[in-house]
Amino acid sequence: MLTISNLHVEYALGRGTHLAVRDISLDIQPGEFFTLLGPSGCGKTTTLRSVAGLEMPTGGTIRIDGEAVFDAGRGVYVPTHKRPISMVFQSYAIWPHMSVGDNVAFPLEAMGIKRGAGRSKVEETLRMVGLADYIDRPATQLSGGQQQRVALARAIVKGAKVLLLDEPLSNLDAKLREQMRHELRELQRTVGTTTIYVTHDQEEALSLSDRIAVMNLGDVIELGTPQELYLRPRHTFTARFIGQADLLPCDPGEQQGDGWKVRTDVGELIAGIDVERPQRPTHLMIRPEHVQFVNGQAADRNALEGVIEGVLFSGKLVEYAVRVGSHHLTVYEASSQLKQVGDRIGLYLPPERCVLLADPAAEPATGPATAQYAEGGSA
Amino acid sequence: MNAVRSGTWTGRWLPLLLLGGLLVYLVVVPLVILLISSVTPSGFPMDPGWTLGHYVSTYFDAGFWNLVLTTSQFAVGSTLGALTIGIVMAWLVERTDLPARGLVRVLVILPMATPPVLLAIGWVMLLSPRTGAFNEILQGMFGLETAPFNIFSMPGMIFVEALSLVPSTFLILSPAFRNMDPNLEEAAMTSGASFLTMLRRIIIPLLAPAILAAAVFLMIVGFLVFDIPGVIGMPVGIFVLSSQIVYLANDAPSGLPEYGAISAMAVFFLVILLLLAYGYQTMTRRASKFVTVTGKGFRPRALALRRWRWPAFGFVCLYFFLATIAPMAILIWTSLMPYQASFSLELLPRLTFGNHLEFFDNRRAVMAAQNSIVIAVVAATAVALLSVLVSWVVIKSKARGKKLIDGLSFLPIAIPGTMIGVALIYVYLTMSSVIPIYGTVWIIAIAYTTNYLSFGSRATHGVMFQLHDDLEDAARTSGAGWLRTMRRVLVPLTMPAILAVWIWVMAHCMRELTSALLLHGRDNTTVPVLLWGYWTGGEPNKAAAVGVWLVIAMLVMVTLWQVLARRGRLGGAGGT
Repeated sequence: MLTISNLHVEYALGRGTHLAVRDISLDIQPGEFFTLLGPSGCGKTTTLRSVAGLEMPTGGTIRIDGEAVFDAGRGVYVPTHKRPISMVFQSYAIWPHMSVGDNVAFPLEAMGIKRGAGRSKVEETLRMVGLADYIDRPATQLSGGQQQRVALARAIVKGAKVLLLDEPLSNLDAKLREQMRHELRELQRTVGTTTIYVTHDQEEALSLSDRIAVMNLGDVIELGTPQELYLRPRHTFTARFIGQADLLPCDPGEQQGDGWKVRTDVGELIAGIDVERPQRPTHLMIRPEHVQFVNGQAADRNALEGVIEGVLFSGKLVEYAVRVGSHHLTVYEASSQLKQVGDRIGLYLPPERCVLLADPAAEPATGPATAQYAEGGSA
Repeated sequence: MNAVRSGTWTGRWLPLLLLGGLLVYLVVVPLVILLISSVTPSGFPMDPGWTLGHYVSTYFDAGFWNLVLTTSQFAVGSTLGALTIGIVMAWLVERTDLPARGLVRVLVILPMATPPVLLAIGWVMLLSPRTGAFNEILQGMFGLETAPFNIFSMPGMIFVEALSLVPSTFLILSPAFRNMDPNLEEAAMTSGASFLTMLRRIIIPLLAPAILAAAVFLMIVGFLVFDIPGVIGMPVGIFVLSSQIVYLANDAPSGLPEYGAISAMAVFFLVILLLLAYGYQTMTRRASKFVTVTGKGFRPRALALRRWRWPAFGFVCLYFFLATIAPMAILIWTSLMPYQASFSLELLPRLTFGNHLEFFDNRRAVMAAQNSIVIAVVAATAVALLSVLVSWVVIKSKARGKKLIDGLSFLPIAIPGTMIGVALIYVYLTMSSVIPIYGTVWIIAIAYTTNYLSFGSRATHGVMFQLHDDLEDAARTSGAGWLRTMRRVLVPLTMPAILAVWIWVMAHCMRELTSALLLHGRDNTTVPVLLWGYWTGGEPNKAAAVGVWLVIAMLVMVTLWQVLARRGRLGGAGGT
């Protein structure tokens, strides 16, 4: 549907250049909800704006439905208004001098559809976002959430092939954001448009997406479904960026049964059950909610002993800081049983939840390596 | 973000080349011709030969250095005066509980409706040592032998110039006073700073860039202004740069305009003014860095003036009395008198509308009014269009060479109206066979377009800054091309502000005297030139009648400008 190959974006910055996006390749399926996730400055918005034609990449190709909208090699650049896309901006960009209806009707107007003919389409679209009664309101009299819905309606009204969303929820307050998240997902399912979503909020990305590309410093670090990236990340950056994780440095280890035996600061652990091991693992990851406390007899493998050094009570969960040897582990547990600082406890790290990771900083990211990440994820 | 506005080579370069070419024609060509004329023996740029004689005779003449000194005195004096009154007014209106603050904020613009030339004439009528109304009243009250005030002096000139510059000063400073986030002051107080420490370490450093920017701007105006020194200084031989240029061009002792000498002199002042303009741009850039608007609708704490409340109000009233009421009263009175006379009840039976009727009857006067309107409409439209294009290129596009465009559009701030006048005489006398507009209204319209381009483009810069890039990008991702984006989104959003620029320029073209005085011939007399002719020709009553109608026209336009500027601020904010 949307194919990005070897996209490269450089800016002139003072005397030198700034590399915003380096050689990324993505293949997005029809109807997919695809998210670009990463910290600010990782190149996700630049990638999105390149698809929209608001940014001039320095290299690569972008194809929508097989047709090139940008091809550096052949000098193809289709201007923004001729691309089969529509976009929702972080600032919503609702035109303050037009009514709600006129805002939504504008893309139809640009297609050459007369006002009368487009009216029913505008009404239908506004009904989908729950603003049917607002059609004649001035756009300046809307709340943040309503402006956001108008921006969405304006983006879906012309039925573009690709919908681009640039952090559309980040200006809303927490409650509204959660509500809009559900509505957005519903809307995308109903309309069925291929969607690219840009966010720095990992929770948003996990709950909305079919697939996520994790980006950092202009590279795609890893690509996969939300479950894959959370439960079986392959790179330390992904593990740290999505959710909470404890990373124990480890050696490459050796195969043992269905998993791998690695040496860490806290002893030998079995990890990576039934998954491919990264080429050169450097860390073992365990998430705090997967660590279990054990009373009495310890398990025969992956059992550790520790002392509780800190307790942070937050209602539903309790966060314990546990010292194991010279290392600190974080453990979440439901608040039904409380432990005290100084308690000696046994820990069990389930081998199927211990994941071996590679450090992308240690492995210089090159073109072929990036392609490999992409293949690995979409499999 | 490096937004791409146009993919093709022509799309990116053609508009820029056209705009750049137009700016070069309007701004650079006159300057270059001015330079050339300073080194030709006859002073005409196309005449053969070259010489440094004009420079030698100018710069080795003590009279020239005297002129530099006088002009500097005048500029510095009026800057200090306007700055003092302006700072106090801005502070009182924006940060204290002055009575009727809102009204004062609106009214402070009004003195702009009085053309400086009229303000000067009004004050001559009030403080002339022989016939000045105030002088006569004071002499009568205290039985004085001689008049206590003499307007025909350097202090007199500075006094009137300062009064006329206060509105601009206020307009530059009041946003800085208003937008200072009170949290900054509160943070200082909660850090344990006393009021004086806060003033010294927080308030003054925060406001310094804005005040310095205003000071440099006022200095520029002080160096190039003609009307007030022309009315007050010229009759008694106190010359500043601009009045010297007008004198050498129109009334030179030899009978022929001494263009060579004018150009040589102008070059010196041009260098000073360009340095000041550069300083101004640096200052305003620094001032904008300190803009502390947080977007929250905060209302700065108003300082309670307590027993100083009414004296402060008295100060503001005194300013309005001196800047508008007193000079306007004497102008209206004089326009209704058959001859120049001070206020007195005995003269009431002699009131006459004769001067006013003659203004509307006189063919020359009607023609002058028509000329003024045509010139104002044409120049204002040209400035508004050019400014929008310049701002779009400078602020919104990523075109190469946009800094040059920005600089060219700002340059005219440093070129005195007299110099533009002289330069255009050279240009269109030289090209009279190609572009035969010498002696027509069009040459004046061109002069004004150049003159007000710097103001216009700065104003539209502000509006373009406010417009979030996303508003334009959203139109493009909605499928609208460049033209539709301009027509449906950019232009409607900036319209109120563009109209405000249009009216401001129109108002200033209506009242502008300087270049028109140099460029006028038989057929292109404007209202201020007519007024000037009556005044210098010894017909003060006719001059006053023309002045009264000019002020009425100006009042209408200034009011419209204020209404539109206010609407523009509200409509222009958008995006979030």
